[in-house]
Amino acid sequence: MVVVSNAPGSDVRKRTGKRVEAADGMSVPKPDAGTGRLDDFAWVYALYELGQTVANGAEPMRVQQDILEHIVKGFEAQSGSIALLVDGTDDVLAIAAGTDLPPGTVGSRLPCGVGVFGHVVATGQPVLINGDVAETGLPLRLHERRDRLTHSAMCWPLRIRERIIGAVAVNRAPDVARYTREDLDRGQVLTSLLAFVIANHRMHVERENRIVELSTLNATMQRMNAALEETQEQLIRSEKMASIGQIAAGVAHEINNPIGFVLSNLGTLGSYLGQLFALLDVYIDAERPLPAPLVPPLDRARALREKSDLTFLRGDIDALMDESRDGILRVKHIVQDLKDFSRGGSEEAWETVSVHDALDRTLNILHNETKYKARIDTHYGELPEIVCVPSRLHQVFLNLVVNAAQSITESGTITISTGTEGGDAWIRFEDSGCGIPPENMDRLFEPFFTTKPVGQGTGLGLSVSSSIVQRHGGRIEVESEVGRGSRFTVHLPLRQAATPWSVPEDVQAGPRGTPVQCM
Amino acid sequence: MTHLFIVDDEVNVLNSLRRMLLNVAGAPVLPDLRVSVFVSPVEALIHINKQSVDLVISDYRMPEMDGVAFLARVRDLQPDTARIMLSACTDMDAVVRAINEANIFRFVSKPWSDDELKSAIVQVLAHRHLLLENRHLANEVRCQRGVISRQQVELALLERESPGITRVRWTEDGGVLMDD
Ligand SMILES: Nc1ncnc2c1ncn2[C@@H]1O[C@H](COP(=O)(O)OP(=O)(O)OP(=O)(O)O)[C@@H](O)[C@H]1O
Ligand SMILES: [Mg+2]
Repeated sequence: MVVVSNAPGSDVRKRTGKRVEAADGMSVPKPDAGTGRLDDFAWVYALYELGQTVANGAEPMRVQQDILEHIVKGFEAQSGSIALLVDGTDDVLAIAAGTDLPPGTVGSRLPCGVGVFGHVVATGQPVLINGDVAETGLPLRLHERRDRLTHSAMCWPLRIRERIIGAVAVNRAPDVARYTREDLDRGQVLTSLLAFVIANHRMHVERENRIVELSTLNATMQRMNAALEETQEQLIRSEKMASIGQIAAGVAHEINNPIGFVLSNLGTLGSYLGQLFALLDVYIDAERPLPAPLVPPLDRARALREKSDLTFLRGDIDALMDESRDGILRVKHIVQDLKDFSRGGSEEAWETVSVHDALDRTLNILHNETKYKARIDTHYGELPEIVCVPSRLHQVFLNLVVNAAQSITESGTITISTGTEGGDAWIRFEDSGCGIPPENMDRLFEPFFTTKPVGQGTGLGLSVSSSIVQRHGGRIEVESEVGRGSRFTVHLPLRQAATPWSVPEDVQAGPRGTPVQCM
Repeated sequence: MTHLFIVDDEVNVLNSLRRMLLNVAGAPVLPDLRVSVFVSPVEALIHINKQSVDLVISDYRMPEMDGVAFLARVRDLQPDTARIMLSACTDMDAVVRAINEANIFRFVSKPWSDDELKSAIVQVLAHRHLLLENRHLANEVRCQRGVISRQQVELALLERESPGITRVRWTEDGGVLMDD
C-alpha cells in the first residue's frame, strides 16, 4: 500500500453529517468512523444491488456511472472516476465513468504508467494523496497533477481474480477533511466489490453478446441451410429439365410417328368412306321406282361395287382402325407418363405407388432412346407398393436407364430386376456396357463428374439420383467391371420414416409410428 | 411404272403410307405406282441391289442403321434414285446430315400431311425424270456429233433401266459379283 502525503497532520475525523443516498433512493446512513460498520453494510448492500441491476438489463455505462456516484457519496468525495484497461490491452486505460469531469472525458485514453491511474494500474497498489497521515518511504511524484494536489484523493486498483482491470479514484475538496489511511483500507475492500460488479457486468455483457452472436449465427445457419436445401431442390429440378431435354427428341419421335400414321389413316379412311357412300347413294337411287334410267340402277350399283373392291375395303378399314387406335393409345400413354415424370406443381407429393408401374412408365418414355441399342429384360419380383415422391423416383430410374443405355456402344442388354430384402425394396439396373474403371468408382456420385463428351453429360445424373434416394431413406449401390458391365442397385425402405420432405400421415403405409431404419 | 421404296422401323407408318399412296378412290399420286415397304434398311438395300428404284423414302431413326447412312448407301448403289427423308426427328443435325451426306431431295417431317407428302413425291419424281431426260438428250447429241458411240448411249439407257448392270462383273461360273 502506498500512502502519499502532501499534508501531514491533517484532521483525521472531520466528517460532515450528510447522509448518503443509495441508488434505489433508500436512505443509507453515512459511513461514520467507529459506528460506521452497519452503515457500511447498508452502503455495501446498495452497491451490491447496483451491481445486480446490470444483470437485469440496465444500460452498463449508466450502471458504472451509478456505482461511481455511489462510491463518491460513500467516501464523501467531491468527484470520482473509474478508468478501465481497454479490452485486449494491458497498458491502455480508458476513462469509463466520472463525476464532475469535463464533457468528452469519458472514453478518453490514458497511457499506463503515467498519472495516478497509470501508476496504480501499473503497480497494483492503492494510493492515498494528500492524506492526513504522513507516511514515509514511498513518495509518489505526480508532477502533472500538481495543480490539483491540494485535493485529498484516493485511488485503488480494480482486480478480478488477481488480474488488474483498472482503477477507481475519489477526490475530496481541499476544504474538507483529508482522507485517512483507514479510508484507504476501507476503500480497498469496497473497491474489490466494485471490481466484482464490473466483472459481473462484463460477464453479463459478454454473455449477452454471445447470445446475440449465437442467435445471429443460428439465423445465418438457418438461412444457409434453407439456401442449401433450395439449391439442392433447384439442382434436382434443373437436372430433371436437362434429362427431359435429353429425352425430348426421342419423345417427339415417339409421339410424331403415331400421330403421323393416324392422321394419314384418317385421310385415307375419309376417302374410303367417300367410296362407300357413293355406292350407298346408288343403292338408294335403285330403291326409287321410277323413272327407269338407261342403265338399270342395280347394274350400276354392281359395277360400282366391283370397282370399289368391297372385300379389300372391309379388311383394310379393320386394319386401319386397329392401327390407328394403337397409335392414339401410344400417344396417350407417353403423354401420361411424361406428365407423371414432370409433374408440375405437386412435385413433392408423397404417394403410395407401385414401383413396377413407375419402372414401366420410365421405360415407355425411354423406349425410343433404348430400342436402337439395347434389349431390355425385366424380372420383376414381388413388391408391395411403397411410399415415395413418384416424379422423383421416375427421375432416378430415368437416369439409371439412360446411363445404362449410354454405356452400351453398339448393342447390349439392360436387365432390370426387383425384390425385397429385410425392410427394403431393391431395384437393380444391370447393363452389358463398358463398365466403370476402379479409379472412377469413388467419384461417380460427385456432382459434375462425367466421362462423357461435353454437351452429352452434365455429370449430375447420379449425384441428383443419390440425393433423391437418400431423401427417401434409401441408398444406391454400385458394382462394375470394365468391359463386362455395371450394376446399380437402388434400395428403398418399404415404409417411410420422417424425411426432409415431410410425409403426410394419410399416405404413410403401415401402422403409424413404426420406426424405419434410415441410412 | 414407278417403283417406290419406303423404309421405316414402324410397321404402322408403312401401312398408312402404302394405303394412302395406293388408294384408288383418292386422287392417285401417280398412275401405275408400285410400292415396296421395308421395316429393315438392310433388307431394303439387298433389294435395291437387284432392281431399279425410282424413289426411296426413309425414316431417320432406325435400329440397324440411321436414315442418313441408309440413303447415302442408296445413292452409291443407284445415284439416279430420288431420296426423301421422312422423319420425326426435329433436330437440325439430322436434317443437315441428310442433306450433306445423303444428298436428299426433300426432308418431310413427321407427322406429315398426306397432301404435302404426295406433292413432294410428284415433284421429286418429275425433277428426276427431267434430269434423266436431259442426260439422255445430251448423250444423243454427243452421239450425233460423234463424241460418244451409239453403244455408249444404249449402255447409259440400260444403266438407267437397271442400275449397276453395266458395271456388273461376272464370276467364272457365270454368277454375278456384287460390290458392296
Ligand atoms: N451404367 C454405367 N456404366 C458405365 N459408366 C457409368 C454408368 N453409369 C454412370 N457411369 C459413369 O459415371 C459418370 C457419372 O454419371 P452421371 O449420370 O452422374 O453423369 P453423366 O451420365 O455423365 O451425365 P448426365 O447424367 O448429367 O447426363 C458417367 O459419366 C459415367 O462415366
Ligand atoms: Mg447420366
